[in-house]
Amino acid sequence: MEADRTGGGAVVTVPGLLLFAGFALVGPAAAFLVPSTLIQSLLTQATIYAIFALGVGILIRQNGMVSFGHAAFFGLPAYVIGAVLPLGLMPPELIIIGGLAATALMAFLVGLVIVRVHGIAFGMLTLAIGQAVYEAATRLRGLTGGHDGLSLDLPRFLFGLPLKTFQQPGSMLIVTWLVLALMLAVAFLFAKSRYGLLSEAIRDNEERVRFLGYRTLVPRALTFALSALVTAAGGVLFALYNAFVSPETVHWTASGSALIMAILGGASAPWGPVAGAFTYFFLKEAVGSFTTHWLSIIGVSLIVVTVVFPAGLVGLFDRLRPGNRSQGAANVG
Amino acid sequence: MSANALEVRGATKTYGGFTALAGVDLTVAPGEVRALIGPNGAGKSTLIDVISGRGANISAEVRLFGTDISRASPAQRRLAGMSRSFQRTSIFPGLPVRQQLLLAAHRMGEGDVDELLGEFNLAAVADIAAGLISYGDQRRLDLALALVGRPRVLLLDEPAAGLSFEESKHLAEHLRHLAARWSVTVLLVEHDMDVVFAIADRITVLQLGRVLAEGDPAEIRANPDVIKAYLGSAA
Amino acid sequence: MAIQVLNGLVYGALLFALASGLALMFGLRRIVNFAHGALYMLGAYVGYTASLQFGFWAGLAVAGLVLAALGVVLDKAVFRPLQHRDPLTTLLVTFGLALIAEDLVLSVWGNDTMSFAEPQQLAHTLSLFETTFPIYRLAIVGFGAAVAIGLVLWLRFSRVGLFVRAASHDPVIAAVQGVDTDRVSALVVAVSAALAGMSGVVAAPLMSLAPSMGADILVDSFIVVVVGGLGSLGGAFITAMLLGQINVLGVVFMPELTSLLPFLLMIGILLWKPTGLAGARL
Repeated sequence: MEADRTGGGAVVTVPGLLLFAGFALVGPAAAFLVPSTLIQSLLTQATIYAIFALGVGILIRQNGMVSFGHAAFFGLPAYVIGAVLPLGLMPPELIIIGGLAATALMAFLVGLVIVRVHGIAFGMLTLAIGQAVYEAATRLRGLTGGHDGLSLDLPRFLFGLPLKTFQQPGSMLIVTWLVLALMLAVAFLFAKSRYGLLSEAIRDNEERVRFLGYRTLVPRALTFALSALVTAAGGVLFALYNAFVSPETVHWTASGSALIMAILGGASAPWGPVAGAFTYFFLKEAVGSFTTHWLSIIGVSLIVVTVVFPAGLVGLFDRLRPGNRSQGAANVG
Repeated sequence: MSANALEVRGATKTYGGFTALAGVDLTVAPGEVRALIGPNGAGKSTLIDVISGRGANISAEVRLFGTDISRASPAQRRLAGMSRSFQRTSIFPGLPVRQQLLLAAHRMGEGDVDELLGEFNLAAVADIAAGLISYGDQRRLDLALALVGRPRVLLLDEPAAGLSFEESKHLAEHLRHLAARWSVTVLLVEHDMDVVFAIADRITVLQLGRVLAEGDPAEIRANPDVIKAYLGSAA
Repeated sequence: MAIQVLNGLVYGALLFALASGLALMFGLRRIVNFAHGALYMLGAYVGYTASLQFGFWAGLAVAGLVLAALGVVLDKAVFRPLQHRDPLTTLLVTFGLALIAEDLVLSVWGNDTMSFAEPQQLAHTLSLFETTFPIYRLAIVGFGAAVAIGLVLWLRFSRVGLFVRAASHDPVIAAVQGVDTDRVSALVVAVSAALAGMSGVVAAPLMSLAPSMGADILVDSFIVVVVGGLGSLGGAFITAMLLGQINVLGVVFMPELTSLLPFLLMIGILLWKPTGLAGARL
């Protein structure tokens, strides 16, 4: 797949399409093959967080930047839906799309300010922005319901489908999985696009990009907005599935979890954060049953992965693959 | 008035209270290859930075073929036809060689980089990430990035830094021919006097942030101030 | 009104005591310690346990000593081995450490919020501006002032301080001056950790003890060091004071938006000066 961009050849290839179609079918297949509602529910949640982590991963891969505040973009569309829906101003579908657009726009505007700050300071700022949204969610009680959270009064039909499609684990697993496949395709196509190439060049060496005649602020802010948009798509699914949103959703620990998923999986390939999210969820499920020290386990895992396997699962996979050729896609960590 | 390729007036740079460059004037004619020489700390690289708009606390009036670009950003200068290379190799380690050249070419409205890959002997490594190719290849990639779109004025900051004597001599000859063929005006900083005297049409000598002398190679070789300040001690 | 300004000073002093350590560590090692809030929390819990036996002042001292020792370990076991890696590596590793510390506190002390009494000598109020004001709060302002003065004297008049100042301008130049970098770094991290731990003890009677206390104030102290200009103590001081005032004055004038004001301040200042108030470097 790596060779696609060289020589200006086709980005979308037949094997690539087959792989994509195969991937898209995994979720529906699982929904039919896994009888346990409990596991279906777990898979659905993991898929939603995989989309969240995918957004975080795009920022790392394309911008070389680590966000500690992406939960803000995960929760924002849910709050927008919850706050605007009762007003009855427009069709719910439009509100959902509007919530996504508003989140992306906000991320772009915020990005214009914060991407000027580099490296670790950027991480600190994203944390602060995430907590600003958290504070707003707890304090603006009239809009958000404060600490109690906000129940979403969803209509009986959405996008032509009955509401229960989005709230039963089996059917929702199919929906979330298809959205995940779509978002992966977006991430993949973006990475292969000229704009993705530009963003990687900026990640590697911003000064030289400017001396090649490009402006760099807007591309970096746009990448930030795209990463927020993907995360927001996960947030919309979260809102539909739970019909509820609370400040916990936008707390920095949620951002931290998504970041850990992305690092665990490795951000040098779009699928890394997705694999990381599933690993995280199943590890948590497996470990949670016999110990309460989940925080320590995840903390130790994070340290081991950053220090010993900075490329995460993607790096492990590359090492195992026969005849691998280091592509040199720089990884943080 | 027929426009010079490059006209610089009052190039100044300060670090804190220290003045690294004190109002340097410089005029380069179209098609010329001009070398900047001087002892360490004379301000050669700083002058390249000031002309190309890099860094803080810089000021200079810069005209490119008569057009005032004093207030232009580095990106705008590049689009106006001024390009530069870097003393410390400045490439994109994570991107394949061809990809980064294509990215640069696209901005200049070109779609093909095969000629550049050939000129700089990079065709064999075109599809390898730049972080993994040899140092010599990286140096040539840095130059190739600067030459994408055939800039009208090219600023080269020690293009042969870190290369062996043979390599740097060969590279200098090659740059000289390329500049002539593509009608690129060149201003270059170079340490090696043999290289400088071999390829420069004219030479500007800097010392302590000021112009000490300027002339063709024969004049510079014979200039007593230059001998005293620089050549004498270097030889 | 004057009381509010005073309350702002209290929070500003606390923030500075915590953020100064972050700024020092950044200046010397170019690292951001995500576990700084965890150190603050650990200090509070350690101090709490010690104070149950020996009283508040002993608790404060024990917290300072234990955390200083922890700082030395942190420097030797984490910061030094990682000093040539990407700064993000250290950031993520300290993030992992913060999670472990929170788990540790949960296991040892539980999830319940605990109250931590102020020392009896300071458990009085003072008549000020036609109302009463707890003396303990004034003592916190004193603590912040003592930290500020102590740090300034230390940095200005000691050999180590000279080195730290040089390093925050240019670590490479400083490294060739023949100073034992590793010892200085261990000392600076120890001082920073001790300050964080003692701030935790000092803050606990005011804000009560909870495992989440570290994360909450960490965000504000990050704002302080970024807006102040990474690595700058002076910038951190000014920003901490500003943030303290904004917090309390916001409560008076726009209660709904108070918690958003620090972020708005941050964005405003960064728009104006992307490297922070005192920052030209980085």
